This record gives sequence, structure tokens and C-alpha cells, in this order.
Amino acid sequence: MAQDGTVPKLKFGYWLDKAIEWGQATTLESQQDVCLHLPQLQEFLHQLYETIKDSGSAVAIQQFPLIGQLLGRLCWNPFVIGYDESQKTLMWCLCCLYSSEPRSAVELKANSWVRSLLCHLLSSSKWESNEAETSTFISALGYTSADYYCHLVKNTVFSLVTELRENQFNGLNIQGSISASRVNAVSIFCVPLITLPDLTPLLETLLLYHGGSSKEILSSEFLEAVNEAFLKKKISLPESAVFSLWLRHLPSLEKATLHLLDQLFSIQLNSLEEVACVMKDSLLPQAASHPAIFRIVNEIFKNALMETDGTSGVMTIIQVFTQLFLQVHQNENKQHKFPLKAYFPYHHQPLVRGLVRRPFEFPTTYWSQHLKHISDMLKALVEDTDFSSPTDLFEIWFLVACFGEWLDIAAEQLLKAAVEPDAVLWLLAFYYCPKNENQQRTQTVVEAQAVYSHLMMLFRCTDLSLKDLEVAVHRITGVEQCWNQCLTTHLLTNFLLFSRGGHKIAQECIYHITKTTDTSKEVYNLLIRTAYRFNHSGEENQRTVKLLNELLQKLTLKV
Amino acid sequence: VMEVVLGQVEQLPALLAVSRSALVRDWDFLTLERALEWARYFQHLYDRFRTRPQLREALGRRLRRAQPYPLLGFPTLGRCPQLLGLALLKTHALPPAACRRLLRSLLQPPGAGTGPEPRGLALLARRKAAACLLALPRCPPRRPPGQELQLQAEAQLLLNRLREERQEVGEAAGQLRWLCGVLEQLPQPRAFEVVAAALALLKQGSGAEQAGDGDGDGSSLDGYQASAAEDGCTAGLLLSWLLGNKERFSAFCLCLPSSLLAFLAGHYSQLSRSYLDLLTTWGSHLLYDPLQGRWVKSCLDKAELSWEELRERFSCLYQGSTLLKEQTQAALKLLKTQDGDFEVCGLSVWTDLLMEV
Repeated sequence: MAQDGTVPKLKFGYWLDKAIEWGQATTLESQQDVCLHLPQLQEFLHQLYETIKDSGSAVAIQQFPLIGQLLGRLCWNPFVIGYDESQKTLMWCLCCLYSSEPRSAVELKANSWVRSLLCHLLSSSKWESNEAETSTFISALGYTSADYYCHLVKNTVFSLVTELRENQFNGLNIQGSISASRVNAVSIFCVPLITLPDLTPLLETLLLYHGGSSKEILSSEFLEAVNEAFLKKKISLPESAVFSLWLRHLPSLEKATLHLLDQLFSIQLNSLEEVACVMKDSLLPQAASHPAIFRIVNEIFKNALMETDGTSGVMTIIQVFTQLFLQVHQNENKQHKFPLKAYFPYHHQPLVRGLVRRPFEFPTTYWSQHLKHISDMLKALVEDTDFSSPTDLFEIWFLVACFGEWLDIAAEQLLKAAVEPDAVLWLLAFYYCPKNENQQRTQTVVEAQAVYSHLMMLFRCTDLSLKDLEVAVHRITGVEQCWNQCLTTHLLTNFLLFSRGGHKIAQECIYHITKTTDTSKEVYNLLIRTAYRFNHSGEENQRTVKLLNELLQKLTLKV
Repeated sequence: VMEVVLGQVEQLPALLAVSRSALVRDWDFLTLERALEWARYFQHLYDRFRTRPQLREALGRRLRRAQPYPLLGFPTLGRCPQLLGLALLKTHALPPAACRRLLRSLLQPPGAGTGPEPRGLALLARRKAAACLLALPRCPPRRPPGQELQLQAEAQLLLNRLREERQEVGEAAGQLRWLCGVLEQLPQPRAFEVVAAALALLKQGSGAEQAGDGDGDGSSLDGYQASAAEDGCTAGLLLSWLLGNKERFSAFCLCLPSSLLAFLAGHYSQLSRSYLDLLTTWGSHLLYDPLQGRWVKSCLDKAELSWEELRERFSCLYQGSTLLKEQTQAALKLLKTQDGDFEVCGLSVWTDLLMEV
């Protein structure tokens, strides 16, 4: 393909220069340079192979006269051969240069050169020379160089692991026999080999290695490359090693969090079980047991929320994460647990303690009391103190929003249980409209009370029509302020799920609302959160469960 | 049908021998194809029969009959394609047309179907590079002697093969013949180092050795975990090779460092006895030169130790296990007594040694 020939050709000279440069310099800097370029080089080799694979050897040499030099040099660079699939592509390229019917001296020479390079790559000779002292012995045993190198690599890894473990700084001994620069060098030399399964024990040991100095001794190329490989699921590491990686290398943690968000945005959220599964696989909730990690992940989530203007999808993800984090935290060994203050240092601790309690820890009859407790604390914080900066208000709001489980239960309890509505309504109003410079929140509370009274009047009716819910529906469809819209939608949806009369007209009502407004995502997220909660706590009313599933199905098709 | 298969298996040693010889110069594309097919067929036989002991044995026996030096056994069938392919790659006489076909089949470019082969070879090249990258210069190791990594790999392969071999060939004499044949493939110093490393590994057991167990990829070792008793048999075989021939044992002890020998002597009682006997012989050949005031060799035979070297040997033995130290000390005391029990130096080499170690 002539057009593709131009792309590798342009870079051919570049890579040849690089190969020459790498061959001559043996400093750590040049080795780091190789490591940085390995992915692009692999890509280039692949393109090169695609270009020459169908031409004969003579044509290929004509097209790239210096190809022998390039391939030859690369074959003698262990970084290149050790990396991912580069060795495979290089060997294919070599095959292309071998002719089955050599017609000239050049072709004969090329043939013998190809064979000698392949022997170098595949036989049990030393890397630097082609002498194979022990190959007759190995073949006499009935083994091949493949067996030999399998053992040799495993032995080398084991030996390095032992050396590192014996020299761990344990707070008492002064440096063992390993210098920081040596460990750094080892980490650089590992970079091409990260996806080689034999290396996993060494990767783990390096990630857990602490040499006693406060500066990071592992090279950043190594840490980045391990993180990449882990995120792409090319390697699997024990949890402790992954946590250690994220604790020592902030960019890796950031990348991992953003990667998780990307994953979650790109898949269709059919159920929160799926979301929880993906999250647990990413190991981030478990890693968040370390307060430092928790706080950084939290920040990133916060920013994501702000960037997307607080879409309910993102909020739901954050809420699931918080729940998973709590689960892990609660299951932890008492000795290793960090106090709550470590995770939420700047917040009112009683409020934090209230929010952190999981609903299932209380009997359901106690829920409304607990909600009132939270609401009162929150109200005291927000209304009595001087909130001059919107940031403080946002921080408190974000804290509450993370524990959205309680908010969902609040809306549910309003309708199902005999509660004093004021505190709970205030809580919901705060969630949907935290700001009060222009009395928006106060106004929202009033609106909420109106909707609530209206719905409670209809709660016992068995025969309802859409018209009866006009008051509430109108507040959704006819209103500009989205916070009122959202709050009313929340209450109305709960009403439809939990009242007898509501069941019959649920489909019709939801359809009407979502058709005329932008609320389908809100409703959808609310429903999947409710389904998730039901799966964990169990909802006795089978009709409610059935209705929920039906509504979800319909909405899934639309969203 | 079984007879046919047995007849075919007999051809394997010849096939491998030819593939390494100049006879391949007459091979064309088709001949190569056939050879590769045979290799795949043999691997197929291995896969089918490896879990059926009687058939395994039968095939193994027939294979052994077909060789002057019975080196290859049933497990060889399992890695036939690789053995053949890599052997042919190195044989210069193979003509271009056949060679190209060989390369294509060894490296199988994308889209040409999958098989264990291509993955195996890419992994091989990658591991070779890894071995080079990870072999950084290190500060003086404080690890037990005989642990140089390449030696260790060779020793592990030898041990694996010995264990497999014992499964196949019952009788000890045959095994010893086999072992001799195999070790002859190495230059003698290297053979000694490998055997020493193997004996050391048998005593260290876990860790490195387990790490060295094969995986399924390109090195399908039979996943055979040896028990202590079986290890004892393997060690016994290696020791009979070492101790069976006086010159060989003597060369062995001259060649290897004293710390390694002390380590082995500490773990293998037959070895410590023979070693002490040998040291005694060497020691008794030393004469005291009053002019120089030291012990010298009576003849300038390289194949013996000087006084300094002898002293070093005994020092190392003293640094071994308590049992070894006691054994050595007892031996020296006995020799001193037999020599006249002198306390003054210059009269008995054993007295002087006891004073200095």
C-alpha cells in the first residue's frame, strides 16, 4: 500500500537515529529514554511490518535501504525485545526479509543475517555473544532454550525479590546493602517487562519497598507504566501493592479515578449492582480506606460533579461509591481503622457520625427520628452560622449528598410512615436547593409542604386519575426552577410507588412527566437507586417491586 | 495399531539427529512440511498418552531402544515441535526454500491461525531479554554459594529430567549411564558446577526451586512435585556419579570453591567422608621445608593442594554445621594422634592444621 508507505518512511529516519543513539549510550538517562519511546516504537514496527509484509525481500530492501541497520540494532536492545509484543513484530519483519529463492549475493547475505539474528533471539546463548556453551547439554536433557529461560527468569526474579525483602527498612537498621540508586535502576529496567507474568512478584515487592528515605526512589516511568497496565487489566496485582502504588504516586491515583468515571459513563447504567461491580473491580473503594486516598478521590468526584453541573447520574455514582467505601471501612479490623475525622476533617463531626450510620443498623421505626436528628443538626449549622462563602455551603451540601441513601429514605418515610414532616421536608429542600441568598430555600420548603399535603390527602384513595394529581404534576411540568421540579418529582414518584391508588396510574403519570420535561434521567436514577436499596434491605410489598421493575424497563428503553 | 505408533516413535531420535546434521541440505519445502507434521504428531501422542501410565511406559521404552545413548524419553515427545524447529533454525545447511517455510511456521504471523508455538517463541525471546535486563551487577552476594543464576537454571533442568527419568527407567545402573552421557555434553568444570548446584538445590528445596517450576507456556514440564524420599534418590544418583570415579572426584574438589564444598559436605554425609579422605591424602603428601619454614608439596603436581589451600579448606569445614565441625575436628585429632601426637609445629601437618584453623 503505497500511501501507508509514506507514514513509516517519514519516521524511519527518526527511529534509525534513535536506535543508533540508544546503542551507543548506556547511561541511565538513555535507558529511560528508551522506556519512554517503547509504545510508539511498537506502533511504528507494526506499521512497518504491514508495509513490507506482502512485498518480497528485494522490494522491501529497495523501499527501505537501511532497514537492515534498523532491525539489527533494535534486535540487540534488550529493552525493545523485552517489551510487550515488539519482539514478535520484529521477528515478523525479519521473516519478510528472508527470501526462499535468493538470486543475488545481497539476498544470500540477507538470509544468513536474518538467521543469525533469529538465533541470537531464540537460542540459549548469552545476550552479548552468540556462543552457546550449554545448549548441547540442554538439548541432551530434552529441553529447549524456552525451558532454560523460563527457569532463569524465575530464578532472577526470585533472587531480586529476596534481596529487596531482606533489605527493607524497618525503622531500626540503617541502609542494608542496597542503595536507593540501585532500586531506582531496577525499577527502570523493569519497565518493558511489566506485562511479563513472571515479573509480578518483583513488581509487588518494588511497590511495597520502602528504603527509609522520604523521597520516592522508584522511577516515575515505572509507576506510570504499572498503573497503565493495571488499569487496562493487562496485569493483576495484590491489593496491597495497588494501594501502595496509589499512595506513592499521585498521578496514578488521579488517572485511576478518572478511568473509573470514564468506564461508568460509557456503559449504560442498567442497575446499580453493575455499577457497584465495576467499582469494586477498580479497587478504589477498598483503597479509599486510606484517608489520603479517600480525600483525593472525593475531590476528583466533586470536580466531576461541578463540571457536569450536578447531573443526577454523577451524583448516583458518588453515592454508590460512598456506600461501598463505608462497607469496606466497617468491615475493617478495629486496630487498623482510621477515625472518621481522618476522612472528613473539616466537617462537623456529629453530623458526619449521623450520616455515616447505615439505615440497616436501625429498625425502620427509628429512621424518621434519625432523619430529624440529621436535619436539626444541619439546620443549625446552615442557618445559625455565618455562611459568607458559598464554598462552605457547597462543602456541607456535598457531604450530605454523598450519603444520598438517607435522602431517598427521607422521601420514602414522608409518605409511608407517620412522621412529623417539617424536619424531613426541610432536609429534602436543602438537598435540592441549598442556597438561600434570595430565600430560595425557604420558598422551596413552603412549596414542598404544599405538595406533601396534597399527596398525603390522596394517599388513601384507591381510585385516582391523572387529573387528581394535577397540582403536583403541574409543579413539575409548568415550572422554571429546576429545584422545585426535582423535589416534586422525587415526592411524586415515591407516591406512585407506595400508594395503592398511585400504582394504577403510575405508568401514565411517569410517561406524561418525562415526555413533557427533561426529568427522565432524574426519575430513572431515582428508580435504580430504589431498586438497589430494595435488593439489599428487601421491600415487603411485592406489588411495589413489580411496578418498579416495569417502570424501569420502560424507561430504560427511552433513556 | 499400537505397534504402528511404537514404530513411528522409534523414528524420533533419527529425525532429531538428521535435523542437526548436514543431511538437511537435501530437504525441500515438502520435506520440511513433513518433518514439522511429524513433530506435531509426536506432540499429539504426548498429550494423549501422558495420563496413561502403561502406554507412556511402552512408548518410553521403545524410544530408548532407538538411541545409542538413551537420552530422550517420553517427555521429549511433548516438546517436539520446538525441539525440531529450533534445531533446524541453527542448522546452516538447510536450504532457503525450506528455511523460509520453517520461519513462517515458527513465527506464524497474524491471521494464520493460533497455536502454542508462536506464543511460545515470542515469550522465549522476551524472557531472554528479561534475563539480560535483570542481571544487573550486584554487590557481593551473601547468599549461599552455588547460586549463580544460570547455573541454577541448568541445575533445575537437570533435576527435573532426573525425576522424570526415574519414573521411566527403574534401574539405577541405567540411570547412571544416562547421567554420564548427559554430563559429558558439558565441559568438565561446568559439569561439576551444575552437579554441585543441583545438590545444593535439593537441600534448599523451597523458594527458588519452586519458583523454577515450569508453567504451561513453552515449557510443559510435568508438574512433578518430588517428595523428600525421591529427592534422596536423585541426590544418591548424583553422588554416585561424583564419588564413583576417584579422578573425577578429585578434580571436582580442586575445581570448586571451598565454601561450596563445605556446604555440600555439611548436608551429604557420604560426601563429607570422601572429602575428608581426599584432604587427608593431599595433606599427607605435604613435606615440611625447614629452610622456608613451611609445608610444601612433595611433587609439583597441580592436582593437589598447597598448604595454604588445605588450611583454607579445613577452615571452611569448621565454619559449617556443628556436626560437620565436630566431624572434621575429630578426624584431624585422630590424624594428629596417629602421626605421633606432637604439639610442636613443623613435625606433623595435622598438628599444625589443628593449631591454625
